[in-house]
Amino acid sequence: MPAETIAHSAGRPALHEPLWLRASLIGVALAFLAVFLLLPLILVFAQALGHGVEAYWEALVEPDAISAIQLTVLVAAIAVPLNLIFGVAASWCIAKFEFRGKSLLITLIDLPFSVSPVISGMVYVLLFGLNGWLGPWLVDHNIKIIFALPGLVLATIFVTFPFVARELIPLMQEQGTEEEEAAVVLGASGWQVFRRVTLPNIKWGLLYGVLLSNARAMGEFGAVSVVSGHIRGMTNTMPLHVEILYNEYNFVAAFAVASLLALLALVTLVVKSLLEWRYGDELAASARH
Amino acid sequence: MTIEVSNISKRFGSYVALDRVSLEVKSGELLALLGPSGSGKTTLLRIMAGLEYPDSGGLRLFGHDALDRSPRDREVGFVFQHYSLFRHMTVADNVAFGLDVRPRAVRLSKREIRARVMQLLEMVQLSWVADRYPSQLSGGQRQRVALARALAIEPKVLLLDEPFGALDAKVRKELRRWLRRLHDEMHITSVFVTHDQEEALELADRVVVMSQGRIEQIGTPAEVYDHPATSFVYDFLGNVNRFEVDVHDGIARLPGTTQPFARTHLRGDGAAVAFVRPHDVELARVNGHDVPNTGKVLGIHAVGPSARVEVDLNGIAIEAVMDRERLRDLNLSVGDRCVINLPQISVFGQQEAAE
Repeated sequence: MPAETIAHSAGRPALHEPLWLRASLIGVALAFLAVFLLLPLILVFAQALGHGVEAYWEALVEPDAISAIQLTVLVAAIAVPLNLIFGVAASWCIAKFEFRGKSLLITLIDLPFSVSPVISGMVYVLLFGLNGWLGPWLVDHNIKIIFALPGLVLATIFVTFPFVARELIPLMQEQGTEEEEAAVVLGASGWQVFRRVTLPNIKWGLLYGVLLSNARAMGEFGAVSVVSGHIRGMTNTMPLHVEILYNEYNFVAAFAVASLLALLALVTLVVKSLLEWRYGDELAASARH
Repeated sequence: MTIEVSNISKRFGSYVALDRVSLEVKSGELLALLGPSGSGKTTLLRIMAGLEYPDSGGLRLFGHDALDRSPRDREVGFVFQHYSLFRHMTVADNVAFGLDVRPRAVRLSKREIRARVMQLLEMVQLSWVADRYPSQLSGGQRQRVALARALAIEPKVLLLDEPFGALDAKVRKELRRWLRRLHDEMHITSVFVTHDQEEALELADRVVVMSQGRIEQIGTPAEVYDHPATSFVYDFLGNVNRFEVDVHDGIARLPGTTQPFARTHLRGDGAAVAFVRPHDVELARVNGHDVPNTGKVLGIHAVGPSARVEVDLNGIAIEAVMDRERLRDLNLSVGDRCVINLPQISVFGQQEAAE
């Protein structure tokens, strides 16, 4: 009977798995997420608040902690805008122009992803350190880079360099150059084309890139650890401060500062999801043509 | 002359896109650049707009050298195949763009721009979508917005790259007629690129047929259709029967026969290629014996106002098109023998035909 066949095939689509299989697969995935992602996050906050809110608060307002927070914010405030400019410039020329050495440039942009952050820190020590290539010249001119703010900024820029560019290159390549061409023929100058056509088309991708870049800039440990020198209250960023406190068995303080970093990660994710939710239509519209 | 293209060549790597192309576009005409993909027609159009730069040759717009002028100073309107509307702007903002980006000294006031935009949108019959985004429009609507946007800057020349290429057949036909009317009202010199011969023949005042970076023929639609200059044009424009013949002393014969088949002005003897359009193939009933050029009916397809008859002439399949009344008068059926007359045959040398 035809009616029966239809009902039967509607009840069991071709790609339908049995219930027990679906349940166990979903269960395994959820358990994995809980153990490896959710549990550590909860533990951070549990440890931080283990001795009461007062102890937690004291750990955060302690002068060295405040100085670490300030330094972290300052480093990110310098590194992220610079990466924003570099990232946009690099993706603009990679996506919109043809030139020799383009694939080399793309590889170079990816380098910070593939190199261990410790090595990126070492490179700067070798370059600018006391015994480095430029060390003597820097000493002569009384410029401090390593074990000072410039070194921290340089290392952070290096580590976070790919975030903006990686986000933008595929987006810009997919969008092509036709809209820019249309703008030029209509009489727009180069700056007008960029500000009124290119930038609006990439703004969400750019925001993503900046958010991720910022999260990484504030959380970076390896590269910063090498160039910082760990001078308390001077060159200690939040992740380094956490390590020092932990090594001193000051668990409450360590986890209190760590909880701030975790909070930052959560805020980043929430903002990202909010953007996706609020501007989902626009995002989809700018992705398709 | 509005646009003078002289000896323009352009290569992309080892690929020759344009090979010493010269062309003049008359003031107020609607000119079609027609050719298959890879014929260089779009490259030529983009060079006119300043979106590409030729390797050699010259380009003059209204008597002035245009090559040293940037696209933004050429005062051309360009309509892209995929519309290229600014996706983050409303329809009205798209149309206003060219007016908005003008230097302050020559820019219209906001109110004047808005009025002009609405006037343009009314012209393309889309004033009711002024505040929508391009993604909310159909293909045909987007293309009309693109046209309004190009016309907003009052260009001296309008360049259109496959303007109807991405639209479905019905919309394409409507838009085509509509563009022709618009052109007749505005008299703006226009050049459009197309690979659709029907579109070029129906829409254009003159057609430039291109192939492999070269111009094959320039002429009115009737000229290029009725008197193709080269075998390529014959092949490319409309349906055509193409078969090999042997030429000797100005007489073409089918290979392996002694019967004279057609006269030709071709100099030199040897193998050649003959072309004849299906509606120029005349069929007649066989009366008596020893009639030259008889063939066998292979198939009859009578759908719509015209009928298509396939006949076999010495092993060559030839397609004939006639109206259905004529077919009824002939009273042919599959397997019948019939007389095949080819009064409108054209013969081209093998060398040229191979290109």
